[in-house]
Amino acid sequence: MIKEEILMLKRDDPGYPPKMKELTGMPQTLYALGELPDPLKPSVGIVGARMCSAYGRKTAYEFGKILAENGVQVISGMAAGIDGSAQEGALDGGGKSFAVLGSGVDVCYPRGNTTLYNRLKHAGGILSEHPAGTAPLPYHFPSRNRIISALSDIVLVVEAKSESGSLITVDFALAQGRTVFAVPGRVGDALSDGCNWLIAQGAGIAYAPEAVLNELLIGRGTSAYFESRIKKARLRHLSEKRVKHASSLSEEARKVYEALSFEDPVYPDAIALKTLIDISAVRASLQELAGAGFVEEPERDSFLRRCPDTEEP
Amino acid sequence: MFSSVLSASITGLDVSCVRVEADISDGLPQFTMVGFLSAQVREAQDRVRSACRNAGIRLPAKRITVNLSPADIPKSGARFDLPVALSILSACGVLPPGSLEGVLAVGELSLSGRITSVSGVLPVAMKAKEEQASLLVVPAANEAEAKAVRDLTVIGLASVAEAVDFFRDGVLPDRACVPSPDAKLNCYTEDFSDIHGQLSAKRAASIAVAGFHNLMLIGTPGSGKTMLARRIPTILPDLTPEESLEISRIYSIAGLLTEENPITGTRPFRHPHHTISPQALAGGGKIPTPGEVSLAHRGVLFLDEMPEFRSQTLEILRQPLEDREIVISRTSGTYRFPASFLLLAAMNPCPCGYYPDLNRCTCTPRMIADYRNRISKPLLDRIDLSIVCPPVSYEDLVSDGPAGPTSAEIRTKVEAVRAVEAERFRGTSLHFNSEIPPSMMETCCPLDPAAKKVLGQAFESRSLSARSYYRIIRVARTIADMDGEDIILPRHIREALTMRPVDNSYWKTL
Repeated sequence: MIKEEILMLKRDDPGYPPKMKELTGMPQTLYALGELPDPLKPSVGIVGARMCSAYGRKTAYEFGKILAENGVQVISGMAAGIDGSAQEGALDGGGKSFAVLGSGVDVCYPRGNTTLYNRLKHAGGILSEHPAGTAPLPYHFPSRNRIISALSDIVLVVEAKSESGSLITVDFALAQGRTVFAVPGRVGDALSDGCNWLIAQGAGIAYAPEAVLNELLIGRGTSAYFESRIKKARLRHLSEKRVKHASSLSEEARKVYEALSFEDPVYPDAIALKTLIDISAVRASLQELAGAGFVEEPERDSFLRRCPDTEEP
Repeated sequence: MFSSVLSASITGLDVSCVRVEADISDGLPQFTMVGFLSAQVREAQDRVRSACRNAGIRLPAKRITVNLSPADIPKSGARFDLPVALSILSACGVLPPGSLEGVLAVGELSLSGRITSVSGVLPVAMKAKEEQASLLVVPAANEAEAKAVRDLTVIGLASVAEAVDFFRDGVLPDRACVPSPDAKLNCYTEDFSDIHGQLSAKRAASIAVAGFHNLMLIGTPGSGKTMLARRIPTILPDLTPEESLEISRIYSIAGLLTEENPITGTRPFRHPHHTISPQALAGGGKIPTPGEVSLAHRGVLFLDEMPEFRSQTLEILRQPLEDREIVISRTSGTYRFPASFLLLAAMNPCPCGYYPDLNRCTCTPRMIADYRNRISKPLLDRIDLSIVCPPVSYEDLVSDGPAGPTSAEIRTKVEAVRAVEAERFRGTSLHFNSEIPPSMMETCCPLDPAAKKVLGQAFESRSLSARSYYRIIRVARTIADMDGEDIILPRHIREALTMRPVDNSYWKTL
């Protein structure tokens, strides 16, 4: 551990984030590794469940990426699931992202996010109210959420169950006068209960990153949202067409692709029952499609159609 | 007067002949037993004295000395009661001289004079045949078991009185003659066609059996993992009479054969509970008796809820999985038990069992990671195949679709693959595709150029380890064999890839 790198900011230091200075209940000392959020740039806190769905992970990534591309700083807790994905998206979008930890800034927790932690040090920063070397104790986490919301102009909840820890962040955000947005979900999806409830209570509806950008008066406009929707539909259609015409694919693989969807993962057994193709051929075809980039496997042995990122083959 | 009769002592799985000698001489009335005896054997003197008296024979008030020779091997168990009684009866003149010539006897006595059953009669009978004993005397309850050994004269006796009648007067007990057990081999009450759905798991099971690959089933509670596991012995190749005797021998020593089932006619299916101790799994005791790994010999060892087993217990499996036998060392010596079994492991995807259904799963990522990490990497490295059993839907249960192949149909396929394997490994020490060493990959597993490309691609994109690379080829070899192909084609590699062993690419999804 190179202690020299760690900044130590007292509340009356000029570098102490002004957004925090104006609030009560903020720590007297803030430790930081890397940079601090630029107070002149908009920042959005993205939070949500650690145990999230593959869809949630993808959504968080996409929001993080598009916000970062538009110059928004993404604040989060570097936790597994939504937090980490959103910050990865922000970094991949070429923006800056800041993680507020429940441990010392030199303690990477969770350890599975070491790569992200190292990236954040160079394209953003790691912040904490705890001195270097502090262990990630469970009771540190609810209180660090108040710093996440304090540093953000908007707090966005991506996936949360009805009794989620993310709702603690929302409570802080409301007390601190921040705007709250939530990504709407399907009725009956446990992971969307919290978000849908927030919307019912009056939270902003984050139907697309553009909705958040609009709130920040960053002009991509809702038309950009519809454009991206159209682009996605076109990409999906393109992918379907490619599968239809790919000469390298077997006839069986094409039939198996027909039985898959872009949204709901399917088990190979279900495909075999639906298409009446032998299970061994179904499995081989799925692997063939995955190898060609037409299919992905978000969880072991469950398959989705993959939407390509660009129109290039 | 002096007299003697043969008996046998069992240490581990080895049987050695023991001569039980009795001498009756003048002197103070006394009963002495010598010959490196355990307490159980020493207690024989009280049982023999009472049993003889209750059979109407009074032992002379003389000095009786019994010796079990050779005196340098330890003897334990109660199977020496009968030979001790016979040698004493012969020494004191109740039985005519020479009547015990060439006789090998085992049996325990009750105080009433009855001869009760003992364990390990089958290996003793095998030894008797090897030593060319002219007659084997066993408890009546063990007669059928002893008669499983052909070309050996066996007589089952139920009491000391019957023994006297036989050896003195040549009168056989008035009972229906117990026939040799004609082992009803391979009669199973369960069948693969009982299982609805679970196509992938059934396919994986037949691949596992054909190439002798160990298999891991991952699935939510109630998805049919145990039901499937129970049916795997039914698709293993038919048991031969030799194998049946080999298994029965182990079961005999473990005392698991009954009068109704004197020999084992089906492949073993052992499913120890997860609280099992290391000794019970490996084989334990001062003089070890076979543990679960040996009782599963030539069959299936099923570990349900594998992460719940103590890690100390699981690590024991490493040696038998590698060497197909287990070596146990005690102060009394080193014992070898055969342990060639197919390992079948089952686990839930997470502690509550419902991951990845996040509407029902209540676990935290940490809990899931901890749960999965309980199985050590070296052990996972020995499991070639893993398959997810999806939750069974209502449609699966009520569907009138094709019931799927029966056990007999799958078994025919499996036997065909085993024949190919036998041909392939002729002249080597190998038997199964799962044992192909990296040095023989080139010759045993020729890859089609396209298959090579598929494998190369997967290796890059999934960052497979060298070890999983070889395991995928071995599984693909078996799949190609099932397909009747000499050369491994892309579809074989692809199917093997979907059943790739659990490693980082599975565990890190969180």
